[in-house]
Amino acid sequence: MIPSDHFTRFYNEVFKFLETQGEADLELYWLEISKNQEKHILELIETRGLAGMYQYWSVIKDEENCGLDLDLHEDRLELHMHACPSLAKAMDNDAKPMTRYCDHCAGWIGPIMDKTGYHLVYDAISRTEPRCVMKVFKDPAKAREAEASAQLLMGWPGRKSGEGGR
Amino acid sequence: MPEPLEPPPLRYQEEGNVHLDFHGAVNTTIDFIVGRYGIDVLHDIFRKMGTDVYADLRRHVLAGDRDEMVRHWRHFFTRENADYDIDVGPDEIVLTVRRCPAWHHVHKIAGAVSPHFCDQTSVVNEAIAEGSPFAITTEITGPGACRQIIRRRA
Repeated sequence: MIPSDHFTRFYNEVFKFLETQGEADLELYWLEISKNQEKHILELIETRGLAGMYQYWSVIKDEENCGLDLDLHEDRLELHMHACPSLAKAMDNDAKPMTRYCDHCAGWIGPIMDKTGYHLVYDAISRTEPRCVMKVFKDPAKAREAEASAQLLMGWPGRKSGEGGR
Repeated sequence: MPEPLEPPPLRYQEEGNVHLDFHGAVNTTIDFIVGRYGIDVLHDIFRKMGTDVYADLRRHVLAGDRDEMVRHWRHFFTRENADYDIDVGPDEIVLTVRRCPAWHHVHKIAGAVSPHFCDQTSVVNEAIAEGSPFAITTEITGPGACRQIIRRRA
């Protein structure tokens, strides 16, 4: 058994292999993980909207030992990750971290938000610092406005960063 | 007489809560990799886990030290509430897993467990021990159950 604690280091090895196969292969994998994640989050979003997302990430915060703040507003959910255990473990690793490790997060979350009609703004800030800011909006115009202040805006399959026009 | 010194922490010694759903993502990944690239690629990735990610465990095994592997097993199988025991003998160490938390969690949340799910154990074990005085073998004894044995090579 690879302990669940070490999943992110396994993930890192998978990313490194897929990177050698090309961008399309990485994106297909993120979509596969996104489909896998649907069984944990899709019903919550479809039945409870932003409050369902808040519920999902509250569990993640606890189970994954994240240093994160969640703020639920009428029009959006904000997630401020200031100690990401996933990237921290990928970097605290005797194997080399994949340089774009952070990209997987928007890679699986973005397609779910597209599918459910929400608008994701994912600011990774830096790929070498275990922190990021994720905002999910009901209104696409507010999402576009929020993108302007992002330091490292992430894209996802079907939506390249900086593409706009959602 | 001085107290025996505590061994240093494991190279990876996570504490706090556990997120068992990661095992579901491993299962999905196994099916994805085998389906698109074949079993050899999956095994190459697991071998890199054994040689690169677990380089420190491998260093101990290469140096003839079996104890670090036992500490690793105890720490993580206990954290995930496995039903297991470890029998440390002079000739071999036997880890008996009666209820694997990874296999059973995937079975619970996904229904079907990949036929290659337990390769993560057998291939990573082989890679950690490759070229060392020991072999680490894995016998699947039932659904979500196995026996892992560290034995000095003949």
